[in-house]
Amino acid sequence: MEKDIKKQAVLAVETISLSKVYKGKAAVSHMDMKVQEGAIYGFIGRNGAGKSTTLKMLCGLAKPTEGEIRLFGKSAGDPVTARRIGCLIESAGLYPHMTARQNAVMKAKCMGLADPNAVERALEATGMNNTGNKKVKLFSMGMRQRLGIALALLGNPDLLVLDEPINGLDPEGVREIRQLIQRLNEGGKTFIISSHILGELSKLSTHYGIIKEGNLVEQLTREELEQKCADYFQIEVGDVKRALPLITENMPEVQAEVCDNTNIRLYGLKEGSGVNHLLIENGVQVYSSGFHHMDLEDYFLARMDGSRK
Amino acid sequence: MFNLLRMDLYRLLRSKSVYICLASLMAASVLCFWMVWLMGTPEGQETAARIGMTAIVDEGGSSQTGESGEEGVMDQSMLEEYDTLLMFREIGMDGGAYALLFGIVIALFFCSDYSSGFMKNIMSLHRRRWTYIASKLMAAAILDLCYLSIEFGFCLLLNVLFHNLVPAAPAADILFYLGLSFVVTMGFAALFLLFCTFTRNAAAGTLAVSLLSSGILVILVNYITGLFGLNQWVSYTLYYNQRYAPNAYSGFGDLKGYAVGAVFLALYAALSAVVLTRKDI
Repeated sequence: MEKDIKKQAVLAVETISLSKVYKGKAAVSHMDMKVQEGAIYGFIGRNGAGKSTTLKMLCGLAKPTEGEIRLFGKSAGDPVTARRIGCLIESAGLYPHMTARQNAVMKAKCMGLADPNAVERALEATGMNNTGNKKVKLFSMGMRQRLGIALALLGNPDLLVLDEPINGLDPEGVREIRQLIQRLNEGGKTFIISSHILGELSKLSTHYGIIKEGNLVEQLTREELEQKCADYFQIEVGDVKRALPLITENMPEVQAEVCDNTNIRLYGLKEGSGVNHLLIENGVQVYSSGFHHMDLEDYFLARMDGSRK
Repeated sequence: MFNLLRMDLYRLLRSKSVYICLASLMAASVLCFWMVWLMGTPEGQETAARIGMTAIVDEGGSSQTGESGEEGVMDQSMLEEYDTLLMFREIGMDGGAYALLFGIVIALFFCSDYSSGFMKNIMSLHRRRWTYIASKLMAAAILDLCYLSIEFGFCLLLNVLFHNLVPAAPAADILFYLGLSFVVTMGFAALFLLFCTFTRNAAAGTLAVSLLSSGILVILVNYITGLFGLNQWVSYTLYYNQRYAPNAYSGFGDLKGYAVGAVFLALYAALSAVVLTRKDI
């Protein structure tokens, strides 16, 4: 128990006011990211929001304009700490005229790995051990991604930073990679995964970070997300402008959110009949109403629209 | 850094361009020795006549051997001035062929880290970026040493196969010249590394190699500055020190090529490290 508490307290990644400016435009702005050891951190954002730039800075591929990165409590520039990270940023970096094994051997040599079985283990874990003499240039997109993950796994890193790891994978491949990530996470590895496939990400992540225009707008755990995505009551009315003040004045414990010209969402409501009565008694027409549930995608889109705080 | 060097050597051994360029140099050597034998020895001239090449004696008495009589000028007595070192120089060094082929190999070698994206794997592990530059230059130095020794060894072998066409050069001269060539070509290597680090593009790197190692750029700028009498600088270029390197050590001034090569090597290596540190991957 004490061990668990201690483990939770250690941060695998901590960024302090991390910023990156390209030609006067902030790609990442004063980001304070916190990733606990053992977490699977789903990093979500639109294209160009700053996800890849952030991940590049974590992996040492881009230099922060401002701020600090701490990995496992130490400075990111520490060579020993750098070896505790495995990266797959954007596309997998592979030599096209070499085989899968030769690429893995290259990375192993680059790391100075002494264990002769390390390459075989990494290739086996991703199902890339039977590609023989086939050159990487002949690989499909999915095979390249798998090999990229295999390279990231070399050296048994404690933190894996995976940018769009399931891009181009077939459904079977997606499931295999999911199972691999879950298995490695059970063994204590920390993951930061960026993906646009939010359904898949929600099956894996224990924590989430949402980035919008370079700002980390929210960090939350799976439990917190579930709470926030809890049932909401949606009501379709004839006049939103009249309905909204009625609800907010009479039901201060309820959080109301206007969806469009006719729909209002209410969070924190136990039962819906009271609202219906209130509106009808005050002459507001109610066309339909009912409880709904949000998933990660709905929540993300709502967060991007700025309608949820 | 030595891990990176091990990785680089593993890749160099598997690069086709390394073998293709070496084979091109060796083929050029075979062609040169054959041509010299053909034009400069009685047996060669007999063979040339037998295969349909014509020998024309001009008014001055020198013989021309060639299909049209316009090419292949060589007086038999000229061979006496040659030795193995001069043959080696004529084949690949003085015209810039060696620097060009060696430059192409290393430009492709340097740029492929960027074009393949493997640079991301390297830089995520090696945060001190100067180690990358150092390892690349060490790999280039090993390749340069191998190329120079193999090419010179091959020239010696060809000389034996062509019945000692030219006399052997003194060992001290050979060592002096090969050492100088090594330092100057390493200066070129550092220049190409700087180009590749800056442009990250194999095509741009190869173009730079062609313009710089063949001396086109130096000759052009020398011509323009020469119009104003401002071309003294040319003797401090890598190309000039490669092209007009002394054959043997005869005094302190002959070490200028070593100094020029070493200074450019250090300068370009430092600039490459600065560029790599400042640019994101």
